[in-house]
Amino acid sequence: MTMSTTSAGLEFHDVTVAYGRRPVLWNVDLTVPGACLFGIIGPNGAGKSTLLKAALGLVPLAGGEVRILGAPLEQVRARVGYVPQRESVDWDFPVTVTDVVLMGTYARLGWLRRPGPRERSLAAECLDRVGLADVADRQIGRLSGGQQQRVFLARALAQQADVYFLDEPMAGVDARSQERIFRVLSELRAEGRLVVIVHHDLRSVAEWFDAVALIDMRLVATGPVAEVLTPENLRRTYAGRLDLLDEIGRAVAEGGRTP
Amino acid sequence: MILAVVDDSFPAAWIPPYNTLVVAAGVASVGFAAGVVGCFAVLRRRALAGDAAAHATLLGVGLAFLLGGGRRDLPLLLAGALSTAIAALLGLVLIGRWTRTRDDAATAIVLGVSFGAGITLLSGISARGIPGSAGLEQFLLGHTAGLTAADATILGVMSLLVVGIVALFLKESTLVAFDPLFAAASGWPVTLIDYALVVLVAVMVVVGLPAAGAVLVTALVVIPPVTARQWTDSVGVMLPLAGLFGLVAALSGVAVSSAVPRMPTGPLVVIAASILLTISLLIAPRRGGLARWLQARRTVAAWADGRLLEVALRLDGDGPFTREQLLARAPGAAADSAFKRLVRSAAIEPVVTRAGTDAWRLAVWGRELAAERSRRVAAWTEVLEAAREDARGHLTIDVPSPEAILGAARMKAIRESAAAERVAGAARPGQPWQPGQPMGGAGG
Repeated sequence: MTMSTTSAGLEFHDVTVAYGRRPVLWNVDLTVPGACLFGIIGPNGAGKSTLLKAALGLVPLAGGEVRILGAPLEQVRARVGYVPQRESVDWDFPVTVTDVVLMGTYARLGWLRRPGPRERSLAAECLDRVGLADVADRQIGRLSGGQQQRVFLARALAQQADVYFLDEPMAGVDARSQERIFRVLSELRAEGRLVVIVHHDLRSVAEWFDAVALIDMRLVATGPVAEVLTPENLRRTYAGRLDLLDEIGRAVAEGGRTP
Repeated sequence: MILAVVDDSFPAAWIPPYNTLVVAAGVASVGFAAGVVGCFAVLRRRALAGDAAAHATLLGVGLAFLLGGGRRDLPLLLAGALSTAIAALLGLVLIGRWTRTRDDAATAIVLGVSFGAGITLLSGISARGIPGSAGLEQFLLGHTAGLTAADATILGVMSLLVVGIVALFLKESTLVAFDPLFAAASGWPVTLIDYALVVLVAVMVVVGLPAAGAVLVTALVVIPPVTARQWTDSVGVMLPLAGLFGLVAALSGVAVSSAVPRMPTGPLVVIAASILLTISLLIAPRRGGLARWLQARRTVAAWADGRLLEVALRLDGDGPFTREQLLARAPGAAADSAFKRLVRSAAIEPVVTRAGTDAWRLAVWGRELAAERSRRVAAWTEVLEAAREDARGHLTIDVPSPEAILGAARMKAIRESAAAERVAGAARPGQPWQPGQPMGGAGG
């Protein structure tokens, strides 16, 4: 399955989301081209995760619409993969690493059908790709944070999707896992898939991402990394958040070079 | 009663009456099914919702009794119980969705209101002395003695049906219980599956009423899964194991209560279940209290042993050292026993050797051990400094070799970046903070 070059990978048209009476996303109008590593960047509470959840139909839209691969979500759900935040599940849950990765095949299997040899070999393949083949039978709580994150990535790989959404995949992750995750994501892009990542670490943006959107409730700027990560745009995104000034300073000083 | 069983014809001619056997089989399947269904209630953290449903059943029993014109027909009464149990769950959902009441408060409200109403109705019925109403209070604490074979068959069949449904939808239920967000994103009807599981819990609560009673039947749903979780890390094993524990608890409760006149079953079932739970909480490998206590002790001991070695290596540079010197430099509750282990080693594989009454030297082997440990501690300190997440993910109290865990190449990179940081730190102007000096005074 390759994507047509004419349709965008992901489009938000005037998307507004509110929790109760409070808007979390404000008229976001954003088009993401196909086949790239796309970062959604912004301060805490800027609505980054909500933007992903809006795309996946996990939060109701107050207004606007989302199109994935040129179609509404319901028509393309089988082509969409998802890596939720690591903290969103109970890691003491009695399942093994392989069990979790197999969950990526459930949607294709549908009701009642159980994973068979084909699904199992796919799961093993995905685990190998993220470097976790040797812990396949371990209970998921007995892994490091970086390994847990890679289990989630392997499960998303087992979904065999064309568009991937990842929510903070580098939070609490060691350098080796981070490197591995980014490498796999780059491979996905090379295979012609779109990878959308909610990300908080400005330093690694320039090294890995093709394009970004700066979000702070509204869309501040979007485009190729070099054009968007300007001191002016960062100031507008992080305005008034003094605790982040240092981080911005560093990112600007590094000027988009690889660290 | 117990003595009556042990008559002289026992064991050759003693065969329990048919009715007893059927009731036992029925109750056994109820216990099994309650344990199985309870797993998802526990894993999805919905155990309290089941309790609210259980307390609401009494109201339904009373209503069904009145509607049925005073017949004590078990299926009819249980149908009434199920309808109010589901009504209570519906109430929970509605309160959660339309008011800003928190979950625990909502549960307490529904539980209290429905239980109060049920008790009021049943008391009213029995105060009026409506014929046939005697014995309705048995639904409060459970009483299996009055069960007929036909009743028990219905309970057993219902239970097996519930187990069958859970087994059929094991894949879907596990997915939703573990990661509802992912399940929803990949298109599964999470709310529907969630509600279906809660309704199954309600059915089991109702089916379990004769065995355990409205007040205690939740224990039959909650305790066996928690017990089973102690022994396994796999849902596929946890379910049948919880079923087995539930079965044993239900059967033992029923057996004892049938031997003691006027003894309600519910409390006995709960006692049996909690005995199994207590044993499991204590002795289960890895998750049990005993295993965790031993692990904690080993942790403290391993750390004390290592610290002592490090200090000994430093002292050994200046010649023989005494016990007091050693303990003064490696304080801690476990240091004394660590020293004893160190001395004991002198006899077997000498880590230290005796150089006087209270004078010690490190042996060659001890020096090697100590040097390696100091090297690892220093290396991990560098990892903590330069690559905190790596250390957080992989460092354990037994101080493994960082090269073995992170790889030699990665360690080299960390060392280099730590060294670069030290150089940068040295080049930066500014003095280290001294006591008595205002902090950050020179900054601006």
